[in-house]
Amino acid sequence: MNAASRGARALFLLGAALFFGLPLLWLLLAPTRTAGDLTTGSPLGFGSLGNAADAWAHLMSYNDGEITLWIGNSVIYAAASVVLALLLCVPAGYALAKHDFAGRRTLLTLSIVTMILPPAALVLPLYLEMSAVGLTGTVWAVILPLSFYPFGVYLAFLHFQANLPDSLLDAGRVDGASELRLFWSVGLPLARPAIALIAFFGFVRCWTDFFLPFVMLSDDRTFTLQLGLMSLLQSTGAVNNSSGFADLDIHQPEAALAGLVACAPLLIGFVLAQRFLRTGLLAGSEKG
Amino acid sequence: MRTLTPTRPPAAEPVPRAQPRRPRHRGRGAAVWFLAGPYAAFLAVFGLAPAGYALWTSFVHDGSFAGGRNWTAVLDDYRLGEAAQNVTTYLLIWLPVLLLTVLSLAFTLHARPGRATGALQLVYYLPGAVTGSAAALLWLFMVSPDSSPFGPLLRLLDVENATDALSGGSLIAVLAVMGVAVHAGGWIVVLYGALNALPKDVLEAAQVDGASAWRTMWHIKLPMVRTYVAFVLISSFASGSQVFVEPTVLSTGAPGQISPTWSVNQLAYVYATQDGDFGKAAALSLAMLAVGLLAAWIVIARTRMYATDPTEAR
Repeated sequence: MNAASRGARALFLLGAALFFGLPLLWLLLAPTRTAGDLTTGSPLGFGSLGNAADAWAHLMSYNDGEITLWIGNSVIYAAASVVLALLLCVPAGYALAKHDFAGRRTLLTLSIVTMILPPAALVLPLYLEMSAVGLTGTVWAVILPLSFYPFGVYLAFLHFQANLPDSLLDAGRVDGASELRLFWSVGLPLARPAIALIAFFGFVRCWTDFFLPFVMLSDDRTFTLQLGLMSLLQSTGAVNNSSGFADLDIHQPEAALAGLVACAPLLIGFVLAQRFLRTGLLAGSEKG
Repeated sequence: MRTLTPTRPPAAEPVPRAQPRRPRHRGRGAAVWFLAGPYAAFLAVFGLAPAGYALWTSFVHDGSFAGGRNWTAVLDDYRLGEAAQNVTTYLLIWLPVLLLTVLSLAFTLHARPGRATGALQLVYYLPGAVTGSAAALLWLFMVSPDSSPFGPLLRLLDVENATDALSGGSLIAVLAVMGVAVHAGGWIVVLYGALNALPKDVLEAAQVDGASAWRTMWHIKLPMVRTYVAFVLISSFASGSQVFVEPTVLSTGAPGQISPTWSVNQLAYVYATQDGDFGKAAALSLAMLAVGLLAAWIVIARTRMYATDPTEAR
């Protein structure tokens, strides 16, 4: 590779990095600046931490600190869905990988189909079903559908397939251990990496989900942070001040701060768990 | 993101010969259903039942059987044609740009892996953390020339303010750029991983034969990862056809600029909530579900990305 093409290559990669990275950098810096500075100052300037603290105080004054309620809701819904999903996924993945039973192939195929299917495609049918049983508007209409996590089953299935030799189970059987006992004392201790992976991706899925809670929930006190952020923007016109109530102290820095809070757990998680993420993304193709 | 789980395509590695099926032992049936039963129930209730119930609902109007009335009513709605056209245009712009971005970056990274490769992948991947209303919020700022770091570029394109960028045809361009920023990174990681998993001897042989980087990419690497490319394209088509969140949330930043029935799923949502017409909502959402199912079927049957049998999995 000669110098010219090496330079072109670096230029291309860096240009792309600017496209992907600048918006995030802007989002990190915006809460430290004042609304005036955001529109007139240099796009990537740093204001002061005091400004950020002010912005947070303004956010907290919105509907008596409703944003903390939304954060709490997001955490609770995500935690409940992830725990329930783990309870369902890990044993099911184990059974699919280590047992041959009637309906096994059907169960696995249906899991893969529902996993590839874009989640949005099932949201409105789920809404119709939930309103038929009167669950719309309750947190169950969000938590229960999110606990059905076919990708988690597939991850557990691949994990047990690759890391739990049949001979280990057979040895246990010779010793007279029951099948459930084998799962509990042989399968489960080996499942830790799969559990971590399912929990990570399950959390990301629940935290970012918008369409399902948007359709199911109507009372703003039950909103997730994602929904709350939208209603905040709607009622304050913080981004485009042609609408909304000018007397609220919610302007561009506050909106940017709320957006940053909404994605902070994922940004941190993605940076800290890079290896992990890659494993999940390439599940099945890069083992060992 | 949850769909990004390709197993290595069979072409890259010979599939081991099928082992004899494990013999079944008596008394295992109960244990198996204790393990897999609860999940199977959730699959039935939250995976299959909604589709079945929607099918039933789509043939009911005011509590009695209505035949195909809901379906023809949806087809006659002038808003459907507009929404379908919007979504099609969006896909026609977004898919090629996404594919080109993913391919060019993954191949460029792989041409000369270095210390920066991992860091760059992370930078490309991070916008995937900013989704839903946070993404809409961020991009509302990004298309406002006053506050955006891309301001000069926007002024070059004659964009005066966010409302400008979100009105008419340019909304589709904004959606496409957002879609690339959010989704490209994950696919770059997947494709880069696939390139890394290619047999080294073939690539070395090409180098020894004096093939240029460009020829190696075009004639050797690309054909070897073509299943992944198809996978990216089909999955993105499926998720893009369901577009709902982005136009919904962007419309809060530019009131009156984006129709509440801009996309097909938005129209189905309006049927279900504003109109309270569950029959039409069911019919339209089933049609969209069929699009998603078709794509899923193609992925499973044609790209063989997913192992459904122990002997197929590694």
